Amino acid sequence: MKPRNIGIIGVGQTKYVTRRDDVTLPELAREAAVLALEDAGIAFNDLDGMVFSLALDALEGTEGAERWCADAVGGRRIPFIRVHTGGATGGSATHAGFLHIASGLFDCILVIGAEKMGETPDAQKVLNQIFDPVYERSVAINAVNMCSFQAARHMKKYGTTEYQMALVAVRSRKNALRNPHAHIRKEIKVEDVLTSRVICYPLKLYDCCPRSTGACAVVIASEKFIKKLGKKNIAWIKGIAACTGTYYMGDRMDGSSANDHADADGLFLAAKRAYQMAGIDNPRKEIDVAEIYAPFTSTELAAVEALGFCGKGESGKYNEKGLFDMEGGIPVNPSGGVLTANPISVTALARVAEASLQVTGKAGERQVSKSKTAVATGEGGSLQFYTVTVLSNKT
Amino acid sequence: MKVAIIGVGQTAYGEKKNQSIDEMVFEATKNALEDSGLEREEVESVVTAGSDGLDGCAISNMLTAGSSGAYLKDEVKVSGGGIYGLVLGYLRVASGAFDNSLIVSWTKSSGVSVELISNLAYDPFYLRDCGFNLVTSLAFEASIYMHKTKTKDKDAAEIVLKNRENASRNPLAHLIDKPLMRKTSLSKYISYPLRECHLPPSSDGACALVIASERRARSLKKNCAWVTGLGWAIDGYYADDRLVETRHGVSLHSLKKSSEMAFTMARIKNPLEEIDVAEVSDVTPFHEMMLYETLGFCTDGNGKELIREGITKLDGKLPVNPSGGILSSNPIFASSLVRVAEAALQVMGKAAGRQVKNVDIALAQGFTWHSTQGSCTVILRN
Repeated sequence: MKPRNIGIIGVGQTKYVTRRDDVTLPELAREAAVLALEDAGIAFNDLDGMVFSLALDALEGTEGAERWCADAVGGRRIPFIRVHTGGATGGSATHAGFLHIASGLFDCILVIGAEKMGETPDAQKVLNQIFDPVYERSVAINAVNMCSFQAARHMKKYGTTEYQMALVAVRSRKNALRNPHAHIRKEIKVEDVLTSRVICYPLKLYDCCPRSTGACAVVIASEKFIKKLGKKNIAWIKGIAACTGTYYMGDRMDGSSANDHADADGLFLAAKRAYQMAGIDNPRKEIDVAEIYAPFTSTELAAVEALGFCGKGESGKYNEKGLFDMEGGIPVNPSGGVLTANPISVTALARVAEASLQVTGKAGERQVSKSKTAVATGEGGSLQFYTVTVLSNKT
Repeated sequence: MKVAIIGVGQTAYGEKKNQSIDEMVFEATKNALEDSGLEREEVESVVTAGSDGLDGCAISNMLTAGSSGAYLKDEVKVSGGGIYGLVLGYLRVASGAFDNSLIVSWTKSSGVSVELISNLAYDPFYLRDCGFNLVTSLAFEASIYMHKTKTKDKDAAEIVLKNRENASRNPLAHLIDKPLMRKTSLSKYISYPLRECHLPPSSDGACALVIASERRARSLKKNCAWVTGLGWAIDGYYADDRLVETRHGVSLHSLKKSSEMAFTMARIKNPLEEIDVAEVSDVTPFHEMMLYETLGFCTDGNGKELIREGITKLDGKLPVNPSGGILSSNPIFASSLVRVAEAALQVMGKAAGRQVKNVDIALAQGFTWHSTQGSCTVILRN
């Protein structure tokens, strides 16, 4: 069977900020929905289904808040589902939207989500609740320290340095200056990163992402719908894949384990599957730009290796050489990435939205020249869930 | 592309199981895989269906990823209710992206206050402080339905009796005690018009399905349940937007939309004549009667007639909830997926003591776990 050609025809993002007291969660979600529909050139009535991207219920303080938002985003009385894979939610939601259309049952789907982190008293307390109640939760583990273990392991295994990690922060901040949606838009120097206060060794304040409030939406449509709409310049979805790895931190700290914490093995497998679907043999040559879910500098180092942009343990070195800079071989996170905005429920969806803007040449000042093929990733749970989406401006 | 249910696995449903969430998930998953004949290695994708709130754990599919066999596979959690697991699983297989999918849903009700979590499902500005929760929201709907259709307390009791009687034939059921009729009218009100005996129990348990593409299902040369119709829809958030009074009865839009979509896909024109058995979300006996009307088993306002005439009893023309329904076993989030599992067993002729004779077409229906805002309808055929 020849798969249907399916593409992203509209994206909408609010500006990501610390807190929004002027809107409720449904109102915030609606802002992105309206922007995405405007970008696509369609009306709410054109949607025949919806996927809601919403991660941790406890961060919103409402159980199943997607249903609260359903009316505001035009979901009433149409098929509507929500997916939730932690930080990878936006990637999973994109894939679910794609599958709606690939099944042949639908022609136009809105993938939408919103996050109000500003109202969460203590996100890390909530993120401690992701760990199992018997062994790891009581160790007070959370998102920061589990990633610091990963960073420390990358340093030990490959000799990666804090300086190389700092370069990631500096580049992200610099890129974010050109992205009007970014939450943190302030340039920093390597020394600033290295001398910022230690949050959990080896991660320092500027190695870490902010907690952001904002919404993001993308409209996905079938080729038939796109032709009828007369729309050109589409970000076609060429490859989707996901991989779920091990839950326990303790399973990854020993070098003999199948999931070494230094390497993003789940991402490697997801990327391999997505590349295969997209017909990509040599990612280093064939991918022009990447939007990577990396809430910490060290997470990006492991990710670029897993995505095949360089060999295992080489990311530090290539960061020094500028391979991932805007003018480098494979620009990474031209939007500034997660280090400059992290509205968890839609962070991975924003990666897809940004990748879509890149391949359609609509990324404004942050546009990477001649980008035809882009990859967007999602990462959730205890670095347990990974999603990979490959977009191209050709069917 | 056609999709078939090739395996069903359930735990027994009970008050307090001496099992953790992942142990229950493992048991249901293992049973479903054994029933399907697939090895874990052959499973291509997994859909988990659970609620962080009910699980007392953020991103609860992290915990259940291992026991659902999802390690190194493409796994996603859906929200809303267990039956939405079938929706995403169906899309995965129907699109040709995957050959098969394993779907699992669970709830350890004994570990959580359902009243509290379902109250947190209401918005923090208007409804939460009014004390809205699962039971009170259903009570409003039951009350309007009861008065508009002149349904009697006794009709509701008959539904409970029917389902509990059916449950006595289901070895997995939680409650099999029949409330005595004279006691039913004395049973205390929890939230008018819902009496204690009108409400489902809270059960621990898990349910899993294995679905596969036509090619795989045919190669296994086994009895399977083909998904010939599937529909799902959500309605407005606020309860007063959802209930629509029809000429003689009361209808729920999400239910109507989802069943229309499923009936169109399965080309069903006369549900009462064409459907042989139904497993529906009897979250209260009044809702079961409301379902009869909206699903087109009878005309508006006449749900009560179907139970009075015995049409939906086990030996009737269209048996409803031969498993005993949610009124007998209620692993809250998973209850809607259990409807699909039981309908699939009926179609495959594997429902043992609760088997209805000569089942060709079965219907399964489920609501979102904490209210009737969302609904999903499935048509299965052998």
